Amino acid sequence: MTNILAIRKKAERMSREAMYDIIRSPLITEKATALSEKNQVGFKVAISATKPEIKVAVETLFGVKVLGVNTLIQKGKAKRFKGRPGQRSDVKKAFVQLAEGQSIDLTAKLV
Amino acid sequence: MQVTETLSEGLKRGFTVTVPAAGIESKRTARLKEVGQSMKLPGFRPGKVPMSILQQRFGESVQGEVLEQVVSEATRTLLDERGLRPAMQPKVDVVSGDAPGSTDDLKFTVEFEVLPEITIPDLSTLSLERLKSEVNAETVDKALKEIAGRQREFEKVEEDRPAASGDVVSVDFVGKVDGVAFDGGSADDVNVEIGGAGFIPGFAEQIEGMKAGDEKVITVTFPADYGAEHLAGKEATFDIKVRELKRPIEAKIDDDLAKKLGFEGLEQVRDLISKQVGQEYEQLSRLRLKRELLDKLAEKTDFQAPPAMVDAEFDQIWSRIEEDRKAGRLDEEDKDKDEDTLRADYRKIAERRVKLGLLLAEIGRVNNITVTPDEMMQAVRAEASRYPGQEQAVFEFFSKNPQAADGLRGPIFENKVIDYIVELAKVEDKVVTPEELAEMPEADV
Repeated sequence: MTNILAIRKKAERMSREAMYDIIRSPLITEKATALSEKNQVGFKVAISATKPEIKVAVETLFGVKVLGVNTLIQKGKAKRFKGRPGQRSDVKKAFVQLAEGQSIDLTAKLV
Repeated sequence: MQVTETLSEGLKRGFTVTVPAAGIESKRTARLKEVGQSMKLPGFRPGKVPMSILQQRFGESVQGEVLEQVVSEATRTLLDERGLRPAMQPKVDVVSGDAPGSTDDLKFTVEFEVLPEITIPDLSTLSLERLKSEVNAETVDKALKEIAGRQREFEKVEEDRPAASGDVVSVDFVGKVDGVAFDGGSADDVNVEIGGAGFIPGFAEQIEGMKAGDEKVITVTFPADYGAEHLAGKEATFDIKVRELKRPIEAKIDDDLAKKLGFEGLEQVRDLISKQVGQEYEQLSRLRLKRELLDKLAEKTDFQAPPAMVDAEFDQIWSRIEEDRKAGRLDEEDKDKDEDTLRADYRKIAERRVKLGLLLAEIGRVNNITVTPDEMMQAVRAEASRYPGQEQAVFEFFSKNPQAADGLRGPIFENKVIDYIVELAKVEDKVVTPEELAEMPEADV
């Protein structure tokens, strides 16, 4: 049994530098744009990031209230280069539900 | 669109134009949509990129594009509405409202010079003199003699006499420098013309007076600027053996000579020569007529040439003059003048050129003189025939470079307009001698 409380605690003690490591980049895709109507934002995040960590990171870095986080891991494709098999890295994506009336300007620079 | 006139002085005009922001905004959106249709952006299917993202990514460049379009359109309507014809590209300065995403009205100033009111002088009152020359037999004879001179032959001199000036001596020689034969210094059966040029100075002169079968050693000094470096300035001896004497005979001007040149008979050659000379005269006569016409026209023009055009023309002339001066190729009469006089002189020439150019263009415009595609084609073909083997490339060059084609069109247009004027004007023919015809008035303008 994982102790969800311990994980949340750990996330709240996270340093600002660690947060920058968690949020990799915003997702700018058709799907992400469509989701913005429901006040959701998509990010690429570190593969090791947990939902509580993502929540804290988004809340502190963008100054918004996060209601929930959904994550998924997109498996990297198996590719061949000059006949040799290779593997693209897996990517963790997080869709974050923001509280009503709040938004993130993805074009602005992080402070 | 709001327009206020800010300047109207002589030929200069200035306007301040305000274009409402709404119109620009809708144009920008339309353009963005257009861009979005063909845009490929990772994460989006083509044509599905949302407006906000397009705006963010391409807003700035589209803004510039749209502004340019709006400004040029507004300028054009301004010119159309007021019926103004600018002499040169109008100078446009955007004052405000050009920042991306700005909702202010676009405000800009336009400055330009208008073409002066050109009054075409009554062309039928122009009286010109067309100088003409007939081809006379003398000229043809002279040309024939020249041709004959190039065709002369040699005949062996049978009598045993010393070589004299004008003779051609066939010799064998061995050239030596410091007693050693040098490369290329020996030859057999070479024709040396006594009194002619082309050999080492002193070579032919020393052969003079030798007879067939004579042998002699002569000493000559190669000139310091001789082509072969290892010989230049050196003294050399030549062992000469004279084989025979020859005498040049003038080719007779007759049918045989014509046949040798590839013609049927002497008459044909004469015809050809007189035709060619006639053409030359005709060209000269046309040149003189054109010049006189332009002189007369320049006298009758009284409008003011737009300063900007004169400046441009002057700069062009001046840069050529500068170049000539650097290369030391200035005309004799220009050499002694100081910079200021020279500048003033050429400014006058520039002004005259601009005026005449405007006047000719106006006459052409009023009388619907245009260069037809056929004539254009002919000019291109003439141009192409100057580069044998590359005709195709020349054709392509002109079809791809409208500017280059314009360069061809200009002279054709000018000639047509001049033809038109000549038809209207009173032209008197006057027969002069070829020498008088060839005498060109000074300084081509």
